[in-house]
Amino acid sequence: MKDWLFRIAACSAITFSSLAAAQAEPLDVVATFSIIGDFAAEVGGDRIRLNVLVGPDSDTHVYEPRPADAIALAGADVVLTNGLEFEGFLTRLIAASGTDAAIATLTDGVETMEEPGGGHYHYVDGKAVFHAGAHDPHAWQSVPNAKVYVQNIAAAFCAADAEGCAAYQANAARYAGELDALDTEIRAAIAALPEDRRTVVVAHNAFRYFEATYGVHFLSPQGVSTESEAAAADVAGLIREVRDRKAAAIFAENISDTKLLEQIAREAGLPLAGTLYSDALSGPDGPAPDYIAMMRHNAGAIAAALAAR
Amino acid sequence: MLRHLAGASALALVLAGGAVAQDHDHDHEDVTLYRVFVGDHEKGQVTAFDLSEPDHRWTFPTTGQVKLFPVAGGAVVAAVQSDADTVQFIRSGIAFHDHGDHRDIEVGDPAAIDASLTGPRPFHLVEHDGKVVLNYDQGGYAEILDGHALAEGKVEPVRFPQARAHHGFVAPLGDSWLSTIASDEKVEGDASVPRLGLQAFDAEGKPAGDLASCTAIHGEAFSGAYLAAGCKEGVLTVKAGANGPEYKLLPYPAELPQGVTTGTLLGSTGIQVFLGNYGPDGLVVIDPVDEPHYRYIKLPFRRVDFALDPAKPSTGYVLTEDGSLHRIDLLNAEIADSAKVTEPYSMDGHWNDPRPRIAMAGDEIVVTDPNAGLVRRIATEDLSERGTLPVEGKPYNIAVTGGSGVTH
Repeated sequence: MKDWLFRIAACSAITFSSLAAAQAEPLDVVATFSIIGDFAAEVGGDRIRLNVLVGPDSDTHVYEPRPADAIALAGADVVLTNGLEFEGFLTRLIAASGTDAAIATLTDGVETMEEPGGGHYHYVDGKAVFHAGAHDPHAWQSVPNAKVYVQNIAAAFCAADAEGCAAYQANAARYAGELDALDTEIRAAIAALPEDRRTVVVAHNAFRYFEATYGVHFLSPQGVSTESEAAAADVAGLIREVRDRKAAAIFAENISDTKLLEQIAREAGLPLAGTLYSDALSGPDGPAPDYIAMMRHNAGAIAAALAAR
Repeated sequence: MLRHLAGASALALVLAGGAVAQDHDHDHEDVTLYRVFVGDHEKGQVTAFDLSEPDHRWTFPTTGQVKLFPVAGGAVVAAVQSDADTVQFIRSGIAFHDHGDHRDIEVGDPAAIDASLTGPRPFHLVEHDGKVVLNYDQGGYAEILDGHALAEGKVEPVRFPQARAHHGFVAPLGDSWLSTIASDEKVEGDASVPRLGLQAFDAEGKPAGDLASCTAIHGEAFSGAYLAAGCKEGVLTVKAGANGPEYKLLPYPAELPQGVTTGTLLGSTGIQVFLGNYGPDGLVVIDPVDEPHYRYIKLPFRRVDFALDPAKPSTGYVLTEDGSLHRIDLLNAEIADSAKVTEPYSMDGHWNDPRPRIAMAGDEIVVTDPNAGLVRRIATEDLSERGTLPVEGKPYNIAVTGGSGVTH
């Protein structure tokens, strides 16, 4: 009899300690690319184990998922995605992984912008690659939208880990405060610019949310060419627009090669004013290792290039 | 001619049990249809039938024994007849039109395309980037077809010259054309010409890069950004770069069985990974980017045929000579499930003896069983047999076209 009781007690102890261990186990989170990975780290803190699929300075649009990614998804509790057809690989990766993780779409609740022409172009190895989609996916380029992402992440983490919910919400609230300060800072920097110096050129039309929120106009070649070299007539059209709109600066991007931009800069007589970070953070030693640094860097580079002379 | 599926045909499909899903909305019909093409081992003939309604059946005479390849998005089936120096084409009768959030399906009867290709021993067929390329092993050239034109029934080959005829392949990659390269070494009689590796060319066949060494190169597949091909010393991977193809040879590691190689590769369409043979009773999962590049799967018997599941890209299937079909988990590089599906077929004897071949058809694996004169329908879910379909003669090579779409 005593032996029975001992066994029951031992079993109970094991069960209890197993549960405690299970609760202490961090939430396995997969973020599809570096920017939302940073948001996840801010909200999740040390309660999550984070795996980011598309890392710094990499273009999510042309990313090819690897077996290790499928394994990560298979073991995930929560998968954070941008949505709006940004991660073209995601459906097949989910199918490959067989994951039963919660899939959180972080642009849910964002007031999205339609894509003129049903998509936009990326420039890879000197070629224009069309990224089809009904809505512009680059919503994080507006800080108020980033706050929606953060709220969605907190909700997803709370749903997966009720015990940690208070911590997630506290982290999200703290980070939202930092985002508010960032938003104010960017608005002030752009407001200080002369009204007639608010237009820049980028290769990849990823800044329409930035434009709508902060009032800087971005020109970009719309599929200048699908050949390896941009056709002269296509570039000439953009150059005319650059002159008509009095664009004052041309920016490279961390995820695109600069061949096309260098051609446009030469023909427009404008220097390349630096690099903007559109769809990915920089590495830890770069100027945009996290979202706040990225937005601060972009706004600072634009403001410096457009400042009154 | 293709026609929009409508009226009675649509109703027939709706009534075909599991073939058709429920209404999309009042103006749309979700349709799932797989059409199976089977080549006979002895007679020059292809039999086609709809998997869900096998009484919908057609027969196409061919010049010789065929190997079948679905090409042009499944709109066409290429019937490569190496021993008959001929390639014939059959329009599958199923075509898809992508509309972003959905795709339309058009269904009609399959029909032979009048034009065909002829040349000395056509063998490897490669389809990539909208091009269909046939290598003529005894011709010293390849022929390139445009996939879109082929889907419309136009067979208008462009010749790609090679320095010496050999058992190789030609494939487009980025702005380049890649061709296997044969040595200048003199060979006696029917001995095969040694193959040295892979080289980039322009569209006219002028060299555009150096030879990438890959001894006895054989078997090629695309997955993600990569082309991979088997060599004596490893697997050669190639991807398009800003300055032309970028090659990387992945040597076979010491822990793999020695003295055998990879010579047949399949590329996943969902994740960037390859499944290759490795000796007669092994497979390797090949990751072109992350280490370990090779993960070995030992099979209980010698391999007869293998395939990847496009619907579940981390899954493959392999049939072994004891008649067992095995589900392969590519992520864990292991056999996940096995079931007996045919009588044993020994791998002793000639390589081209009549043995089963497998192909994927949605949530089924279709298996030819030449000795039984059957195509067996095996469920991917549990490897159970869902049914058998009699096919005249000795059903051998097999290809499947079709899938799911919407009719309006």
